Amino acid sequence: MEIARNSDAIPLHRERARSKGPRWYSSPQAAGYIFLLPWGIGFLCLSLGPILWSLYLSFTDFDLLTAPEWIGTANYVRMFTADTKFMTSVKVTFVYVLFSVPLKLAFALVVAMVLNRGIRGLPLYRALFYLPSLLGASVAIAILWRQLFAGNGLVNQFLAQFGIQGPSWISNPNYSLWTLIILAVWQFGSPMIVFLAGLRQIPADVYEAAQIDGAGPWRQFARITVPLLTPVIFFNAVIQTIDAFKTFTPAFIISNGSGGPVNSLLFYTLYLYQEAFGYFRMGYASALAWVLLIIIALFTAFAFLTSRYWVHYDE
Amino acid sequence: MINLLGRRRFLEVAGIAALVASFDGATARAAATRLRLIYWGGQARAEKTGKASQLFSDRTGIAVQNEFLAWSDYWTKLATQIAGGNAPDIVQMDYRYIAEYASRQVILPLDEFIGQQLDLIGFDQDQIEGGKVGGKLYGISLGANSVANIVNTAVFEKAGITLPANGFTYAQLYEYAELFKQAKLPNGVRVISDASGHEQMLESWLRQRGKALYTADGQLGFDVDDAKEWFILWSKLREAGVCVTAEDNALATGQMESSMIVMGKAALQPDNSNLLIAYQALMQDRLALAPYPLISVDATGGQYRKPSMFFSIARSSRAKSEAAQLLSFFISDPEAAKVLGTERGIPCSEKVRTALVTTLTPLERAGLEYVSGLGKILGPIPPSPPTAAGEIYQSALTNISQQVAFGMEKPENAGEMFVQQATELLSRG
Repeated sequence: MEIARNSDAIPLHRERARSKGPRWYSSPQAAGYIFLLPWGIGFLCLSLGPILWSLYLSFTDFDLLTAPEWIGTANYVRMFTADTKFMTSVKVTFVYVLFSVPLKLAFALVVAMVLNRGIRGLPLYRALFYLPSLLGASVAIAILWRQLFAGNGLVNQFLAQFGIQGPSWISNPNYSLWTLIILAVWQFGSPMIVFLAGLRQIPADVYEAAQIDGAGPWRQFARITVPLLTPVIFFNAVIQTIDAFKTFTPAFIISNGSGGPVNSLLFYTLYLYQEAFGYFRMGYASALAWVLLIIIALFTAFAFLTSRYWVHYDE
Repeated sequence: MINLLGRRRFLEVAGIAALVASFDGATARAAATRLRLIYWGGQARAEKTGKASQLFSDRTGIAVQNEFLAWSDYWTKLATQIAGGNAPDIVQMDYRYIAEYASRQVILPLDEFIGQQLDLIGFDQDQIEGGKVGGKLYGISLGANSVANIVNTAVFEKAGITLPANGFTYAQLYEYAELFKQAKLPNGVRVISDASGHEQMLESWLRQRGKALYTADGQLGFDVDDAKEWFILWSKLREAGVCVTAEDNALATGQMESSMIVMGKAALQPDNSNLLIAYQALMQDRLALAPYPLISVDATGGQYRKPSMFFSIARSSRAKSEAAQLLSFFISDPEAAKVLGTERGIPCSEKVRTALVTTLTPLERAGLEYVSGLGKILGPIPPSPPTAAGEIYQSALTNISQQVAFGMEKPENAGEMFVQQATELLSRG
């Protein structure tokens, strides 16, 4: 807008405006809107349109083959009163989010602090540790994970060295979700990069002053590093929580879309996918999608509302 | 597959570009000489179908564009294309879905083409009946098959067992397990995969008891006691080490590659007879076919010959008569039959079978002999299942059988759970 207003200074422009009166396309704002148009059309047609359409569909019974039929709030009522599978999927997803996000952040912070000590070849390590984040959502990694944690997989071959006969982690309902939490923690690269940048921002003289006052490493960590890092922790926590709620690929690949064994990998998004594309209940799936949006929004709002009590921004 | 899809996408885009560039009315005529065919299947089926399509093009000048997907992706893709008004001309249909697609007016009755473009002379009557919904013909069977156990003969030979020609009973499974143990087979291979969550095994078992999976009016054809006995039967097989462990069985997630027989965990794998060829392509050990287990030596009616799959024509097709021509070519042309073989099941036309006899491979011959030699264990084909059948299988039966296998639920309670969940899904529609 600032730039647009400055363009008033161009003489030619002013002259035309004086002689013929203002036209919609010659006003300074118009140029801005015209430049926005490609994005605007894309947003309206490809984002906002489908979003509103799915809101409408969430109140209908729609099987893709016949026209949607309005059924009011029946989808939402069923979800919260009669759908045990929905409850299972919520439980699986919450366990996943509550364990994978803190563990991943803690791991990312530890590695970031080690890398921050100024070791040689830092760019190389940074790239290597970041790599799993890039690969994480890929099909190949999910297949690799299946091989690692299968009954005769690499993990059990390693345990066998110590005389331990491990179960088939990936296909046992007691452990399968945990293998996916480990997969999430392994992809600590992107929060680690952000932590590393945050650690670099903390001035060294603060630590020096603390050292002179006799603060040990643990005290320095608790009283200097963590408080000064809270904005970064906050950012990472919000982003990673949203990401964790949306996890789909590993569960889909490892269970071949079934969410099994015994629904132990029935993530929310996987259940949504099954309803939509397995059983063609587009209306119900749309309602599920909106409830997920609300759940994520609530978590994010909670994080933002409490942030003023624990996030310390630089003055 | 990725390459193929990529190329197809490119062709679509190129096609749209051409359409826009040459908008002169000629495009409507051009569309009539190009058919789109979609089917599920593996690489072998894709190659055979592609060759047959090419033969058809050479002869008629009508181009056929093939698109194939795995079974689990197929129905999603098809429904999306139909919803987008972009359905292919010819779609492969399954017995499970044909009634649903017919009732939703997605596919076309083919009766008007019979004797015209569609040559059904000498076509098996039961296979024609199998493609009918409400008295009208909606799908042309591409081959007959029946359920069958895929047998790893190498394992049985090592254990010193000769398989009875006319099948075996559930009781005999225990004897096999004993012989397996005595022979000290490598890797502790078990007799059979855990089929407690296998819909077709359950159906075959119910039919031998005079029951059915579903009645003609789309209700459950069995009661709580039947289901309970089923889960108890398999719990005993599991405890005795006859079938594979719950953990191993849960690794089989639907693809043939992860099945227990291919993984070397079981010597018997319940599936469909036409898949013998596909399984053999994945394994070194020689494979054979055997019927599903009998509940007693004199049990009858457990199995049936069914259309393994159909070709149907989309109502939205703008080239219906050309599509009917292609259907006829696939089922009755001797040249096409030689290319297609028995990969989709035993051809239903008498003249095609005669033409094929000399060119069959031993595996194809085994399939043909199996389906034609089932004898008294063959019963009538059941009515096509209700819409919810797929979900009852994938969601309720699989899940409950796993709960029992992992000891999270007692088999005594599983029967009631299954009937209750299945009934709820049936009423939900």
